[in-house]
Amino acid sequence: MGTNCRHVFDRLHNFATCWKKRSTPTGRRIFHRDVEKEEFQYASTQCLSSYYSVFVVRLAIMAMLAILIGLLTFLTWHFTKIYTTKSLNSLAYDLRYELLQRPILRMWNILNSTSEITTAQVKLSQYVIRSHTNLATHADQVEMYDAMRAVTWALFASKRALNSITVKYKNGFVQAFHRDLKDNNTFYIYSDLANYSMAAGGYNEINSLSPHEAWNDKDIHGNKSAIWYREPLDPVSGEKTGKVMPIAPEDSINIAGLSQVPDGVASWHVAVSKFTDSPLLSAALPVWDSSNKSIVAVVGVTTALYSVGQLMKELVELHSGHMYLTSREGYLLATSTNAPLLSNSTKPPKLKMAVDCENEVIREGAQWLQKTYGNNSPQSHEVHVENVKLGHQQYYIDSFFLNLKRLPLVGVIIIPRKHIMGQADERAFKTLVILISASLCIIVIGCVCILILTNGVSKEMKLRAELISHLEARRKAEASSNYKSQFLANMSHELRTPMAAVIGLLDILISDDHLTNEQCATVTQIRKCSTALLRLLNNILDLSKVESGKLILEDAEFDLGRELEGLVDMFSVQCINHNVETVLDLSDDMPKLVRGDSARVVQIFANLINNSIKFTISGHIILRGWCENPNSCSDDTNFPLEQKKSRCSQKTKAKQHENNAKRISNRDNKMKLWFEVDDTGCGIDPSKWESVFESFEQADPSTTRLHGGTGLGLCIVRTLVNKMGGEIKVVKKEGPGTLMRLYLRLSAPVDTTEQHCQEDFANKGLVVLLALHGNMGRLVTSKWLQKNGVVTMEASEWNGLTQTLRVLFHARSSAHHNGFDGNYSIHDNLKSKLLSIQELRNPVFVIAVDIGLLDLSTDIWKEQLNFLHKYFGRAKFVWILNHDSSNTIKMELCKKGHTLTVNKPFYKTKMIHILEAIIKERNDELQKKNMTTPRATLKEGDLHESLEIDYTQCDVASSDGSDISEVGGSNPVSVSEDKQREKIMRSNPSSQHQINNLVGLANEYMEDNNPRKEELSQSSLNSNDVTTNAIPKSSSTKQTSFATGAQGEDSESSEARRASSSSRAVSGKKSLEGLRILLAEDTPVIQRVATIMLEKMGATVVAVGDGQQAVDALNGMSGVEDCRRESLLKERNTRSSQPEILSYPPYDLILMDCQMPKMDGYEATKAIRKSEVGTDMHIPIVALTAHAMSCDEAKCLEVGMDAYLTKPIDFKLMESTILSLTRRTS
Amino acid sequence: MDGIVELQRQLIDYTASLFHEGFLDEQFNQLQQLEDENNPGFVVEVVTLFFEDADRLLNELTKALGQPSVDFKSLDAHVHQLKGSSSSIGAHRIHRVCISFRNSCEEQNVEGCLKNLQQVKHEYSLVKDRLETLFRMEQQILNAGGSVRR
Repeated sequence: MGTNCRHVFDRLHNFATCWKKRSTPTGRRIFHRDVEKEEFQYASTQCLSSYYSVFVVRLAIMAMLAILIGLLTFLTWHFTKIYTTKSLNSLAYDLRYELLQRPILRMWNILNSTSEITTAQVKLSQYVIRSHTNLATHADQVEMYDAMRAVTWALFASKRALNSITVKYKNGFVQAFHRDLKDNNTFYIYSDLANYSMAAGGYNEINSLSPHEAWNDKDIHGNKSAIWYREPLDPVSGEKTGKVMPIAPEDSINIAGLSQVPDGVASWHVAVSKFTDSPLLSAALPVWDSSNKSIVAVVGVTTALYSVGQLMKELVELHSGHMYLTSREGYLLATSTNAPLLSNSTKPPKLKMAVDCENEVIREGAQWLQKTYGNNSPQSHEVHVENVKLGHQQYYIDSFFLNLKRLPLVGVIIIPRKHIMGQADERAFKTLVILISASLCIIVIGCVCILILTNGVSKEMKLRAELISHLEARRKAEASSNYKSQFLANMSHELRTPMAAVIGLLDILISDDHLTNEQCATVTQIRKCSTALLRLLNNILDLSKVESGKLILEDAEFDLGRELEGLVDMFSVQCINHNVETVLDLSDDMPKLVRGDSARVVQIFANLINNSIKFTISGHIILRGWCENPNSCSDDTNFPLEQKKSRCSQKTKAKQHENNAKRISNRDNKMKLWFEVDDTGCGIDPSKWESVFESFEQADPSTTRLHGGTGLGLCIVRTLVNKMGGEIKVVKKEGPGTLMRLYLRLSAPVDTTEQHCQEDFANKGLVVLLALHGNMGRLVTSKWLQKNGVVTMEASEWNGLTQTLRVLFHARSSAHHNGFDGNYSIHDNLKSKLLSIQELRNPVFVIAVDIGLLDLSTDIWKEQLNFLHKYFGRAKFVWILNHDSSNTIKMELCKKGHTLTVNKPFYKTKMIHILEAIIKERNDELQKKNMTTPRATLKEGDLHESLEIDYTQCDVASSDGSDISEVGGSNPVSVSEDKQREKIMRSNPSSQHQINNLVGLANEYMEDNNPRKEELSQSSLNSNDVTTNAIPKSSSTKQTSFATGAQGEDSESSEARRASSSSRAVSGKKSLEGLRILLAEDTPVIQRVATIMLEKMGATVVAVGDGQQAVDALNGMSGVEDCRRESLLKERNTRSSQPEILSYPPYDLILMDCQMPKMDGYEATKAIRKSEVGTDMHIPIVALTAHAMSCDEAKCLEVGMDAYLTKPIDFKLMESTILSLTRRTS
Repeated sequence: MDGIVELQRQLIDYTASLFHEGFLDEQFNQLQQLEDENNPGFVVEVVTLFFEDADRLLNELTKALGQPSVDFKSLDAHVHQLKGSSSSIGAHRIHRVCISFRNSCEEQNVEGCLKNLQQVKHEYSLVKDRLETLFRMEQQILNAGGSVRR
């Protein structure tokens, strides 16, 4: 069984290994095509092999279990069976022995008793015969026979088992008692006494020895004439009961004669009587005479063996089986069956041989014995054989040998095995069956359990393998996605370069005068498409930059408020076209200066606002901003009411993680700045609130058709916001439109609060009347004013304005006389305002009038203006102009002396400047009154100041990446001071330049301007809204710049600017006329190229070879002279005149190479800046470098350079950079 | 006249092929734009300057690399200069090789430097040859009384 199991196991194992071998190459074939997948393949084969090992282990466990259980079963069965069998066998042996012993004993008994009786009879006969020795007479003889008869009877009667006792005398007389066992009759048989004489006896006695034969049976047998008599007797008393019947001699019994005792000793034999069917045991013994010399009589005793057979039957009945006794020759003596022992066929009947027995079992048993042992059956050995097959059954055969003298006996017992071992065999079989079935069950269950168990394990392994492969797949997918991003980043960069070239070439083409109108329109169209394409490329670049992790945010300080104002300025132009109001609402707690990437911040809001504009047809777009401070919750008052609710709810929402963030932000001084872009457009479906931030995802697919766009804008916004540590989401708002809310984490310099000084307007007695068209803007401004303690009134249209004006001034004048006059219908709100105005001691009225309130379509506006002019003396008028307000209006305003004008959009900073200007003017007037000294310049200064508000804002609006520095840190007030100072110092070009800014307002100044300069200023100011009245061509350029700038494209406006400047350059205009530029460059080639470039633009160039020379040239004139001499060698036509060279400061700008021998550009810049400390000078330095890295740029700006140009020098970029720098300082 | 037109066409084709093969880039165009009646022969002048400069720098580089211990810093500076000047005249291929040259310098890879030097020299000779041919053609046109349109 064990080997079987092993065999099966081996086969299974072989199968498994075969399978493994077979399947491994398949796997190799599958994965083989990709070398990169080798790792994966390795993992999978490993996994496969482990799977097989699990399989093998499973099989092994199963086999072991099977072996164990089989062994257990077998042992159990074996032990139970073997021991039972053994004990049973020994018991059975005993039993058989015992069984056989008993009939043999009985036999023995019979023999014994027979011999005893025979002996007793002999002894008695001897006694009787000796006592009658002298038989003289017949009577004596009779007497002796009677005595004999009595003695014999006594013996016969005492032994019931006796069949007969016979006495045969020498003379032939026979006396016998016979008991018929069948019918239980007893007979006395005797021969006729008359035939015998005593003489014969005497004769015999004489010749006792010699005529032995004479004594023989011949006498008797030969004596046919002898008559025997049979006398039935009472079996108990021996009395004669019946008639004597003569019978033939030897008819019923055998009479033992002398022949049976030939040698005078006792003899035994088995006799067969014809009267009985059972064999008889007869013994014969001679009776000697007194001298012991002759036999006088022979005594024979026969005993039936019937009782032995009877006993056997009884025994067999009890124990089943068969028994028989045979003589040594094999004649059956007794059997346990009823089969006849004598053969009837022969006469006289003879004993049957055992092999001829009618009983099958006995016969077969005897035959088997004979066959096995032959005739020489073991005499003295007993035979004990088990499991002899006789017929269809198995038997035990045992034989015992009883060695009697003269009569050896063999006893055989045949017991069916079933009888003894039947139960045990059955039990054993049952047990075996039960055990086997139980063990089979256990094996099956165990196998199933193992299968389940290992199945789980293998399943887990499979899952694990799958997981591994999934991880692998994911890694690959991520890698490929990464590749994609990188590919995009690289590709879009590569694409951008030719696009820029295309656009540049188109610009050149547009500026070509020879184009027909049609061609011009086509080229313009191409240019528009190209810029659109470029914009898309830029978007993709931005996105992929962020995705591939290449985008590194700058960390520079910038004025957040100003950037946003610039943005709003820029977009307001677009919004006005859409009839949408753009409102900037920054809370006062916003830090003025923050650190971060200004370009990216602006990009965020530009994209958001641009998006809003796209979808807003009417209404407003509000950009709100506030600062998240732990203590800012208290001053919620400065927020619009509608916002408060949402903010509060949001605050509680975001409280938990904000608390966390606050701690962090406080530590590294990071602030959480919240912004909202709120529009009244079509809104976004709430289900799309999340998905709009995905790439190429738009809320409504049809928008592409309607509004264009790629769906990248918001994605870029989100990635940028996330990059800045913020979040953006769409927030539910009341009413139509979208509300985007985001926060950014920007760090603010610690000293911002000190810089953030704002005049307190509260107690200056200011009264502001806001007559603004747009509701939201007005609301926001008035809220802010009221918060700052300024009394504010509002009017939204002309009638309201006039009414308020009347109420205000008439009420005031009447109030002087008789208190409050109720002539005019005034509602309560206004009333309270009036009351508060009355309380003011010396109120100054400021009336901010939107030019849109006037009816500009007809000529009515002049009358309206005249109406307002009535109040001119009593109030200060601030005019809020549209960017496209016509020149006539502006001139009219100027004529009337309304000098305070600002451009839309109107917001906080502009308001602050206006108020400051007014306060200052009032103070000046007060002073003037006191001093009574006219100051002509004052007004001009004011004028400039008010204009500068516009100027700086516009500047910001047009700021791009290349000249951020141009904007950085220039505070309007300080700029105006600068300008005034410079104006004094350098009267000519700069003042003209300055005045040039006033084109839209001060016409009289414009008359002084020469036309070329005007154009120059137009181009230099490109997107400035002051230049509206320019020639058609430049206005078209400007429009382009607006449209593109509005997309929030940094490079876009610079593109436009380049385009405008290049057009000028091609047409031969010298944009840098009069500028003196110091060029520090060591490479002669570059030096030469740059020099020619600059000279072509009209600048005067002095070239030096290293940083040291540059510093010298700037500091000492001698050094300059040396250098000049050196540079003059190369300059063939220097148009710069000597006086200009000697004028101070000598240079308007320095172009500085970064890597130079002796002293590099950084060192030189540091030295120059160091020398400038303490003076008001700040000479612009532009870096020239071949490193196109952002870090170089940072380094350049760090050491004090103002801008940054990369080699090879781009003609247009250099021009625009120089212009932007010189213009600011001029 | 036809000869001049033919020559002019050849010149234009040749210039285009130079651009196409990457010897020159748009910077060269800018240079040509800078040339006017005030600065006649400006391009030739600048290019000649470049040749002188490049010859000098290449000598320096060869010398520096020939030394047993290479001073990568000065090597880098020289390559940087060459890069700057080549980019200024628009010798695009030299510019590109210079970039890889500088990478080799940063890695302090002498073998790479030598290889790059060979390449730079090769490119330089090519460009020099091409530009001289170009100028010769221009000169031919000018001599023939034609004008070189740019």
